[in-house]
Amino acid sequence: MARSALLTCAVVVLSSFDGFAAEPLHQRIDELIAADFKGEPTSLSNDVEYFRRVNLDLAGRIPSAADSRSFLEDASPDKRVAVIDRLLASPEFADRMANLFHVMLMERRGDNEDWMRFLKTSFAQNKSWDQMVREILNPDREDESLRGAAYFYTRRLEKSGQQTTDFPGLTRDVGRLFLGIDLQCAECHDHLFIDDYKQRDFQGLFAVYQNISIRSEKFPAINEKTMTAKLEFVSVFDASAKGDTGPRIPFGKEFEIPEPPPVDPTAKKKRPDPNDPPTFSALSVIADSLPSSDNQLFRRNIVNRLWFCMMGRGLVEPLDQFHSANQATHPQLLELLADEFAAHDFDIRWMIRELALSDTWQRSSRLNSPTAPPRETYQVGNQRRLTAEQLFWSTLQATGNLERLAPKDGEKPSNEFKELQTGFVTSFASEPKEPAVDYTPAVKQALFLLNDSKVLSLLKPQPGNLIGTLTSLPDEQVADELFLSVFCRLPDDTERTTINDYLKNNVDRKEEALSQLAWAMLTSIEFAVNH
Amino acid sequence: MNKSPCCSASDHAFSRRRLLGAAATATGVGGLGGLLEPSVAEELRKNEKQVLFVWLDGGMSQLESWDPKPNTQFGGPYRAIPTSVPGIHVGELLPHTAKQMHHLSIVRSVHTQDNSHSAGVGRINRGDPKNRGVVYPYFGSAVAKLLGPTSTGLPPYCWVKPYSGGFKTEHTGFLPAKYGALAFGDAKPPENLLLNEAVSLEQNQARNELRKMFNERFTEDRRRDWADANSYVFDVADTLMKRMDLFDESTISERDKDRYGRHALGRHMLMGRRLLEAGVRFVKVNSYHWDSHGDNFNACESLIPQFDQPFAAMLEDLAERDMLDNVLVIAISEFGRTPRINSHVGRDHWPEAWSVAMGGGGIKRGQVVGKTNKLGTFVESEEYDIGHLFQTWFRALGVPEEKMEYVNEGQPLPVAHEECHAIEELLG
Repeated sequence: MARSALLTCAVVVLSSFDGFAAEPLHQRIDELIAADFKGEPTSLSNDVEYFRRVNLDLAGRIPSAADSRSFLEDASPDKRVAVIDRLLASPEFADRMANLFHVMLMERRGDNEDWMRFLKTSFAQNKSWDQMVREILNPDREDESLRGAAYFYTRRLEKSGQQTTDFPGLTRDVGRLFLGIDLQCAECHDHLFIDDYKQRDFQGLFAVYQNISIRSEKFPAINEKTMTAKLEFVSVFDASAKGDTGPRIPFGKEFEIPEPPPVDPTAKKKRPDPNDPPTFSALSVIADSLPSSDNQLFRRNIVNRLWFCMMGRGLVEPLDQFHSANQATHPQLLELLADEFAAHDFDIRWMIRELALSDTWQRSSRLNSPTAPPRETYQVGNQRRLTAEQLFWSTLQATGNLERLAPKDGEKPSNEFKELQTGFVTSFASEPKEPAVDYTPAVKQALFLLNDSKVLSLLKPQPGNLIGTLTSLPDEQVADELFLSVFCRLPDDTERTTINDYLKNNVDRKEEALSQLAWAMLTSIEFAVNH
Repeated sequence: MNKSPCCSASDHAFSRRRLLGAAATATGVGGLGGLLEPSVAEELRKNEKQVLFVWLDGGMSQLESWDPKPNTQFGGPYRAIPTSVPGIHVGELLPHTAKQMHHLSIVRSVHTQDNSHSAGVGRINRGDPKNRGVVYPYFGSAVAKLLGPTSTGLPPYCWVKPYSGGFKTEHTGFLPAKYGALAFGDAKPPENLLLNEAVSLEQNQARNELRKMFNERFTEDRRRDWADANSYVFDVADTLMKRMDLFDESTISERDKDRYGRHALGRHMLMGRRLLEAGVRFVKVNSYHWDSHGDNFNACESLIPQFDQPFAAMLEDLAERDMLDNVLVIAISEFGRTPRINSHVGRDHWPEAWSVAMGGGGIKRGQVVGKTNKLGTFVESEEYDIGHLFQTWFRALGVPEEKMEYVNEGQPLPVAHEECHAIEELLG
C-alpha cells in the first residue's frame, strides 16, 4: 500500500514538471529548494570560497596558492563553469571519486590494490553506476581491471577471530549501500517499527549471499555454490509465520530456481570442487536485476548519497533508512534527481556537474542572520568535514610539500609519504564499519597535529615549500601568500595587521614565527572543514 | 547465525550515528545525547566523585580470596586470616588487603547470569541491563557520560592495561565514540601525548593561541558547533600534555615502587593512583589471565599476591590522602570459580555464588553483605546480580536513578537495570 502511494506521488511529480522540463537539472534543483523555504537565502559563495570548495569536492584537495590567485584574477564570466569542467576531466577527479566510494562502500574495513584499481579505472572511464554495481555484485574473475571489485565481498567474507563468516552482515550491507535500506532487524522477523521491511526481503538476499565463499587466488575472488532450493525461514516471534524464498530483490521480484541438470547415473562420482562454476548462479540473477532503472530504491539511494556528499546532508537520513515512514525532506527533489539520473544512464560525472552548477551547492557558509536556519533548508552552505584523505592531500598542498612528496606516475611512494598518509588516516578516519557521516573530532587527532614529528617537519623550511618561500619574502608580502596557500583566500585588513604585528614582534625568529602561524591555520576549523 | 528473539544490539548502531549528528547540531560539544533532566546532569557534573575500577579479567577464586571456606569439601588448602575488622576473615593470600579491611566491604552473595567469557565480560562491564535492542556502555563510558570530566578537565575515562594503549572506543555502546577510554598500554602514555621535543612550552602556548584566534575569526559569522567541538579536543589534549609529570618515572619514590610491587599489576595500579590524584574521573586498572581451569592453587598463590599488594597500597594511600571518601573503589571479575575442583586441580567458571569487594566514596565500609552456604556452592541470602551492584554504585556516585535516563534516538533508557535495586546496607 505504501509503495503504491509512492508510485502515485512519483507520477504526479513527473507530470507537474512537464511545463519546464527543458530547464537544466541544476535550475530545477534550485527552484525546488527555494519553493520549500520562505526566508531569504544567504548569498552565493564568493570566488575564493567557491574555488576552495570545488577543488575539495572534485579534486579531493585544496587548490595551490598560484591556482587560487589566477582564478581570482580571471575576469571571464563563465569561469566557474570552466573550472568545474576542467576538474571533472582531470585525473584527480577519478582519484577523488575512487576514494569517496571506497570509504562509502568499504567503511574503513581495509584496503586492497586491485579494488582501488577497479574504482579508479571505473571513474576514469566514467563508467555508469549501474554497470559498476553489476560488476561489484557479480565480479568477473577473468578481467584484470574488473576483478578487484570482488573485494567488496571478500573482505566481508573474511572471518575474524572465532567469529564465523558474517553472511547476515554482508546481506545487510548490500541492502544498505546499494538500496538505502537497513534490513538487519528483518533477519529474524518482519521489522517491528518499519512496516516496509519484511523478513522475506532479507532472506531473499541472504539466500544468495550465504552461498558465496572466498576463492583462493592472489587477487580478490569468490566462488558460488549452486542454489538448488528455496530458503525456508520462520519468524522468531511467531512460529506459524513461515515462509520460503528464492533469490529476491527487496520489495521486488522473486526469481525461480531452475531444476538442476539431470545427473548422469553412469558418470563416475567425483567430489564437488568448490572452484566449479554453479550450474545456476543466483548471484548473477541479482546482479543483473538489482541495479536497474526499474528499481526505485536503487535510483534513490545513489542520488541521495551523491547529494549527501556534495550538500552535507542527505535528503533522506540516515542514508540507509529509506522507508515510507521516513520521508525525504524534499520528496519531489529526490524523485527528480532519481529520474534524471536514470534518464542520463546513471552518469555520475553528469550528476556531480549538475549539483555543482546549482546555487544550492554554491551558497556561502556565512550566516546572514544570528540564528542559523536548519541544515535541511540549504539556505546557508553546509559545512562538511574533510575526509582523512582530503585533509592529508590538502595539508601537503598548503605546506608546499605536494610536489616533493606525492609519488609521480609509476613511482613507489616514499616512506615519508606513506607514514604521513597512514598517520592522517589512522587519526582522522572513522572507526571500521562506521559510516563516515558525522564530524567527530577526537583527542587523538589533536595530539597527532600537535606532536607528530612528521607533521611538524612539513613546516620546516625547504626550497620551494611554504615556509621556505615565506622566509625569503619581504614581511609585507607574507600575509597574502600565507593566507592564499593555507586558507585559499586573501586576508582581510585585520588579519593582515595581525600577521604583520606577529612577525614584527618575533623579528629575530622569523622562521619559527612563520611555522607557528602556518601550524595554527592548518589546525584551525577553517582548514578542517569544507565550507 | 544470530537468532536471538530481539534484534542483535549492534543493528541499532545507526541511532548512535544520528544521535551524534543531531546533538552536535543542537548543543555543540556539551551534552551529546540527551539526559532526562539537564539540571540534574549539571549538578552531577559539579561533584568531584571518582572511581577506581580494578578489573581482573577471568575470575578470581572467591574461595581463595573474599569468601574462604577452610576445612570444607571444596575449601582448598589455604587458611582464612583475620582482618582489621573483627569478625571478618579473608583468604590468607590477601594479607595486605586484610589490614585495610576497614576501608572495604565485601558482597558475598553475588549471583550473575553468564559463565562464559564471551558473554561475561560484556554483561558485567555493562551492568547486564535489560535487552532493549541497544548495546549499553561499559561502566567507565557510562560514568564519563553521566558525570563528565572532573573540574581538572582531564579525560574522564582512563584505562591502565597490559599490551596496547591508544584511544579505545569499543566500550561506548550506544554512546558516541568520545566517551571511549584513553588507554595507557603498560602504563605508558599513548602516541603523541608528550609535547614534541622540537616545541618548547612557550612555543606550544603561542601556536595554540594563534589557533584559537583563527577559530574565533572563522566563527564570527558561521555556525559555531563544529568549531567548539574542535576546540574542545584541543583543550583536552592540552590539559593532558600539561600533566607529563604523570609519566615521569623519576618522580616515583623507590618506596612506592616496592609497596605496589614491580610486577605489571603493581606498576599499573601505581599509575592508576597517579591518575586519580591528577583528577581523572574514572580509572580502570586491568589485569588479564585470571582463569585457573588447571592448577588453581598454585595459580592463586602466584596471582592473588600480585593483586593483594598493590590493591592494599592503593587503599592505604587513598585513605592517607583523604581521597577515599571521594573515590569509589571496586575490585571485580567476570564471575567466580567453581567450588568443585576439577580433574586438572582447577576451578572453572561459577557465576552462581561469588564475591565482589568495594569501598570508598559513598559505600559503607567494614561490612560483609550476604552469605553463601557452608560449602560455598550457592547463595543463602538475597542474591545480588550485577544490576544490583550498578544501581548501588550509581547511587554512591550521586546519580539519582529516578531522574537519570539516557535518551537515545528518542528512546528513554534507564542507566541501569530497573528491576534491580541498590543494596541499601552498603549505602550510607
